[in-house]
Amino acid sequence: MPQPDTKWSHSDLLSVLARSAPDALKPFAEGLMPQLGDLEVLHSRTGLVMLPMRDTAQGTAFHLGEILVSEAHLRRGPHEGYGMRKGRDLEAAMAMALVDLALDAGLAVPNCQAFVAAQHRLHEDEDRATLCRVEATRVDMETF
Amino acid sequence: MAYVATRGGARAIEQAERLFRTEMGAIDAARVAEIRAAMPYLIDRVMGEASLYDEDIAALALAQTGGDLYEAVLLLRAWRTTQPRLQVAEPVAQDGLFTHRRISAAFKDIPGGQLLGPTLDYSHRLLASEVLTGTPFAPKPVDAAPTPAPATQPSVAAWQAANDLVDLPEPDMTRPDDIPDVTREPVLFPSKRAHTLQSLARADTGGTLALGYAAMRGYGKAHPTVNELRLAEAEVMVKHPKGTEFSAGRVKVSQAEVVSKSGDKLSLGFAATLGWNEVKCISAATLDLNSKGAAKGSATEEEFFLYHTEGVESSGFCIHFKLPHYVTFQSSLDAMRDANAQKAAPQTPDQEPAE
Repeated sequence: MPQPDTKWSHSDLLSVLARSAPDALKPFAEGLMPQLGDLEVLHSRTGLVMLPMRDTAQGTAFHLGEILVSEAHLRRGPHEGYGMRKGRDLEAAMAMALVDLALDAGLAVPNCQAFVAAQHRLHEDEDRATLCRVEATRVDMETF
Repeated sequence: MAYVATRGGARAIEQAERLFRTEMGAIDAARVAEIRAAMPYLIDRVMGEASLYDEDIAALALAQTGGDLYEAVLLLRAWRTTQPRLQVAEPVAQDGLFTHRRISAAFKDIPGGQLLGPTLDYSHRLLASEVLTGTPFAPKPVDAAPTPAPATQPSVAAWQAANDLVDLPEPDMTRPDDIPDVTREPVLFPSKRAHTLQSLARADTGGTLALGYAAMRGYGKAHPTVNELRLAEAEVMVKHPKGTEFSAGRVKVSQAEVVSKSGDKLSLGFAATLGWNEVKCISAATLDLNSKGAAKGSATEEEFFLYHTEGVESSGFCIHFKLPHYVTFQSSLDAMRDANAQKAAPQTPDQEPAE
């Protein structure tokens, strides 16, 4: 993930949006709608993503199982917006797609990037808190 | 098939279902949310066996079936078929896992150290009976460390390879869309390794434990030691229509490597599943370790353990014996009566079987 002053890659933006809490993402995306105007909804649906893994014993790629996701795909003239998130919240996927579309169309870019940066900081804080709790379980086997 | 040679009973069947559901009462979103929050390991087990990751849907299946795991998994496997497959994600690699627990029972000084993570391994198992008399059980909070653990941990096997203890495999470059898939093609024997590992990932935990335990007790050729056990979260890396790869979120995964001495090197068995389920992964990895050259019909033979740990098929076959078998059983009874009558009848030369 980029530092606060660096440019966000499309991949990082999408990953942060996919993880953003629905109660933050939805109102933010709703605020973009007046600027976006008429949209074409290509998809708004739930579906499955198969998740493969690499076996560490023999290197074989195999399927672990399927993940339920929600997907939204929008079009506005030559611009597209796409959202895919774990879970069955179609509104959250649509909100993600709206932000992606706004960025693709060059609308409200500073606002969108500020939102993503704020969400990213929250995610970093969550991860840090989790990993500090995990670190507390580190065991020194010499004294075990 | 002559299993259903009966007619009628629609009213009784309707009332029987009502009786089953009456005991559980009304199901609402609050109950589903409570099951999801209170029983994460049960949710994980069901998601792994259903091969479908969604905590809400798994909690709903448990609520609807009153906690009958086989019924819950059956519901989820059936519901899964109503959903389109949108993509195949990029394969998860061990060194990219956001790791919550990583231990080795084979080596204490593994690179990255040993992180116990969330576990009861070294705890007393005492029932909090005071809860039933009005004293709530409130877990003590973790005294978090001032600095975080690394988000990712190195592979134990890679360290062993550097020490010439194991041979690291060549990476499998199969495109995600081309990875063999047991949901779309039959498992044939000898099984493709991708089929074996996928089948074990969705196998019934109890069945896998029973057969893995048989191998551990001596009915297998190799005794397992846990080389690496990991509970983690994996990023689900999907593609934007423009080709950008991104994470659609994280899912809980568990994986186990077990190790045994094999000549002048170590050999590894591997298993992984959706959700956190250590018993299943260790048992399944033990079966994987023992499967090479296993005797036909033994617990560690691939065909035997894959067929007998498929929970939906095995539970379905088991419970079908409850359904009316009147015609087939009557036929057996008739044959038995005929045989008894023939035995009881006085033998005459013309009744003897022909040569």
